[in-house]
Amino acid sequence: MPSSTVGQVISCRAAVAWEAGKPLVIEEVEVAPPQKMEVRVKILFTSLCHTDVYFWEAKGQTPVFPRIFGHEASGIVESVGEGVTELKPGDHVLPVFTGECKDCAYCRSEDSNLCELLRINTDRGVMLHDGKSRFSINGKPIYHFVGTSTFSEYTVTHVGSLAKINPEAPLDKVCILSCGISTGLGATLNVAKPKKGSTVAIFGLGAVGLAAAEGARIAGASRIIGVDRNSNRFELAKKFGVTEFVNSKDHEKPVQEVIAEMTNGGVDRSVECTGNIKAMISAFECVHDGWGVAVLVGVPNKDDEFKTNPINLLNERTLKGTFFGNYKPRTDLPLVVEKYMNKELEVEKFITHEATFSDINKAFDLMLKGEGLRCIIRMDA
Amino acid sequence: MNTKTTPLVTPSTIQRSCPLPRGTTPSIPAFQSHANMISIIHKNCPFHTIERAKRKKKSLLVQSVLKREGYVVEEEERKGTMSAITGQVIRCKAAVAWEAGKPLVMEEVEVAPPQKDEVRIKILFTSLCHTDVYFWEAKGQTPLFPRIFGHEAGGIVESVGEGVTELVPGDHVLPIFTGECKQCRHCKSKESNMCELLRINTDRGVMLSDGQTRFTINGKPVYHFLGTSTFSEYTVVHAGCVAKINPAAPLDKVCLLSCGFSTGFGATVNVAKPEKGSTVAIFGLGAVGLAAAEGARVAGASRIIGVDLNPNRFEIAKKFGVTEFINPKDHDKPVQQVIIEATDGGVDRSVECTGSISAMISAFECVHDGWGVCVLVGVPNKDDAFKTHPINFLNERTLKGTFYGNFKPRSDIPKVVEMYLKKEVELDKFITHEVDFADINKAFDYMLQGESLRCIIRMQS
Repeated sequence: MPSSTVGQVISCRAAVAWEAGKPLVIEEVEVAPPQKMEVRVKILFTSLCHTDVYFWEAKGQTPVFPRIFGHEASGIVESVGEGVTELKPGDHVLPVFTGECKDCAYCRSEDSNLCELLRINTDRGVMLHDGKSRFSINGKPIYHFVGTSTFSEYTVTHVGSLAKINPEAPLDKVCILSCGISTGLGATLNVAKPKKGSTVAIFGLGAVGLAAAEGARIAGASRIIGVDRNSNRFELAKKFGVTEFVNSKDHEKPVQEVIAEMTNGGVDRSVECTGNIKAMISAFECVHDGWGVAVLVGVPNKDDEFKTNPINLLNERTLKGTFFGNYKPRTDLPLVVEKYMNKELEVEKFITHEATFSDINKAFDLMLKGEGLRCIIRMDA
Repeated sequence: MNTKTTPLVTPSTIQRSCPLPRGTTPSIPAFQSHANMISIIHKNCPFHTIERAKRKKKSLLVQSVLKREGYVVEEEERKGTMSAITGQVIRCKAAVAWEAGKPLVMEEVEVAPPQKDEVRIKILFTSLCHTDVYFWEAKGQTPLFPRIFGHEAGGIVESVGEGVTELVPGDHVLPIFTGECKQCRHCKSKESNMCELLRINTDRGVMLSDGQTRFTINGKPVYHFLGTSTFSEYTVVHAGCVAKINPAAPLDKVCLLSCGFSTGFGATVNVAKPEKGSTVAIFGLGAVGLAAAEGARVAGASRIIGVDLNPNRFEIAKKFGVTEFINPKDHDKPVQQVIIEATDGGVDRSVECTGSISAMISAFECVHDGWGVCVLVGVPNKDDAFKTHPINFLNERTLKGTFYGNFKPRSDIPKVVEMYLKKEVELDKFITHEVDFADINKAFDYMLQGESLRCIIRMQS
C-alpha cells in the first residue's frame, strides 16, 4: 500500500456518466483526500445494481450529472480523515449506500437501520461535511452517488457508510453483499422470518428476489414459490431453492388466488421484490389469514398507491416493508460475510459474468437485456 | 338422581347473604387455620370462593364452619349433579328482536336442551356491545328476524349435550361469539384465533349440528346471534364457544371479557405489544378503545394519546391511562401530521378502534418510521378500501390487524379473568350503568345516545 498518497490528491481512472442514459466514459479524475469523518478507499471490485441503472437513466428523477455511479463494491482503506478511529489504512471494507452513525434513535433501535444522519439520499451528490464533491476533472466537480461512487479506482465515503469485514473474505465475491443480495436476504431472514417447514412466495426472480429465496432456503422453508412474468427465469431460480413457479401471465384469475389455491389458503410468508404495485398488493393478499406476513422490498414509482380491503388486515395478516433487508451496515454486514465464510450462505451462484473496468458498459448492456444476475467488474484491468 | 331443584349458589345469591360490606376481609381464625381451607379463603369474602367440593365432606365442613361463625349459607347444589330440568325444554324469558331497529320485546321462549357438543347456560349477567346494535339495526346487513341478540355475558352451565366432557353443570362460563375447536390449523397455530369451525359468523342463526335453532315461541323458530344469544335467561351454545372461568370471579364484571374489553386489551398487549416507556396512540375512545388504552397502561407506555372526534370522551379517558388528547376536528392538517409533530416523528404504536377508514389510514401513517407498528381493530364498511403510499412500508412501518384481540377464547380468556382477580387489569371502571333484564331497551338507548361505556343487564332482579 503506497503511503505516499496519504494527504495527497490521487489521480486515477473513473467511469464518468456525463449525460443521462449515455455510455460511461473512462476518465482520469482527481480524488481529494478524506476530510473529517471521511475515508478514502481503493476499490478492487464493483458490480452493477439496478438502482445505478435507474438513476443513470434519470427518467423522472432529479438528474445530477456528471456523476460517478456504483454502490456495490469491495475495497481496501487507503487513508482516513480527521476523527476516524474505527478504520485504518489496509482494512478490508464494503462501502454501503446507507450508513450507521451509531448515535441516532434509529441506530440505537434494535429494529431499524434508517440512520438519521446517513440514510440513503439519492439526490445528494456531495459530501456532508462541506457540501462539496471529492472528485474533479480539471477543477470541475464530478458528483457522488449515494455516498459511495464505486465506479472509480479510488473513492471517498463517510466512515459511517463503511462495513469493516474479515480480511480473509474474497473481495471479488463479497462485494455483492453491499447491496442487492443483502437486501433480499435480509428481507427474508430479518423481516419475514419464515419458520422451518413453512411456505414462502417470492415475487420477482431477479438478483434481489433470488437472494430472498436463498434466505428462505437457509431458513428451512418447505416450499418456495417463485412468481415472475418471465418464464426464462425459472430454471436458474431452482439453484436458489425455488421449488415451484407461477407466471401470472398464465392465469386468468389474480395471482393471489392462484397461490391461495396451491397452498390451502395462502402462504405463510411472501416477499415482494419487483416494485410493481400490483405485485405488491398480490403479495399481501396471497398470505394465509391468521398468521401470514408479507414483506415489501421493491421500490415502486413515486405516485403508486397501495390499496387493499381492510378486512385482509382484520383477519390477522401482517404487512411490513424493509430497507436494505433491515441490516445495520456496520453492525450486521460483517456477520453476513461470516455466514458466507462458514458456507451457510452461497454467493458465487449470483455471479454470472465478469468484465474489466474498461469494459464497464458491458455490465450495463447485460442488465438492460435482462441477462445474468451480477457482473463483477475488476478495477485493476 | 337428585330431584331437588334447589337454587344454585351463585355470586349474586352469595353476595346478598354475606353480611359483610363488599371489599372487607373477614377474620375467621378457626377457618383460616384449617390448612386445607386456606386456598379457599378469598381476600374479600369467603362466600365468593366456596369451593364446590367434589368431596362431600369438605363442602359440609366449610358450611359448618361458616354457620358456626354466624354466616348464612344457602343450600348448595353439588357440581355435576343433574337437576330436574336437565334434558327438558326450559321455558324462560328472552328479549326478542322482532324487527330491525325496533325495541326488544320480553317474551316467554322455549329453549331446547343442548344437542351433541352443545351446552345450555343460565345467563346471569349480560351487556350490550355495539356489534349487537349494528346487526339489530341491520342497515345493509342481511336481516335475520326474529332474533335473540347478546354476546357479552357471564353464566353458569345448566346442562351439557352428548360428547361434552370439558364442562359440567355448575361451571362458571363466559359464552363467546367466536370459538376454539382446538383441532384446526388456526387453533393449533400459536398466533391465530380464527378457528375454522367456530369462527364468527354473523349470518348464521341456527346451530351447526342440525341447522336448527334451539329457541322457539309457539313452535316458531327464533334465531340465534353469533352462536351466543345471551339476551335470554337460558341459551344454548357450542361447547367450543364457552370459556370456563374461575368461579371466584364476579360474573357481573368479567362478563365484559367475552367481547369488547378483550378485543381492545388484546389488540394492545397481544398484537401491538408496546414496550415499557413507549408512546401509543389510540383512535376511538369508546369501550374498545379504552380497553386498548388500558392495555397500553398495563404495558407501561409513557404517553397514551387518545384521538376522538367527541371531546366529551376525554375526561373519562383519563381514568384509563390516556395522557393527552387530539380531536381531528380541531386541526386543519391531517391528524397523522399533528401526531407526528407532537411525538418527534410518530408514535411507537397505534391502535385503531373506530372502523372509520380514514382513521385507519391515519393510524397507520402516524407511527414512527423504522419501528412503528399500527394495529387495526375497528370493523369498516364492506366496500371501504385501505390506501396508502407504499413508501410507508418500505421505511419500516408495520401494519397489522386483529380479531378479538388475538385471544383464543377457551385457552386465553380464563387467564385474563385471573389477571382481573389479581388486580392486574381493571374492569369495574368500564361499567357506567346497570339495568334489570326487563329494562334492557334502556341499554340500547344509552348506547345510541353515546352516553355509556358498558351497561350491565341483570337477568335476575
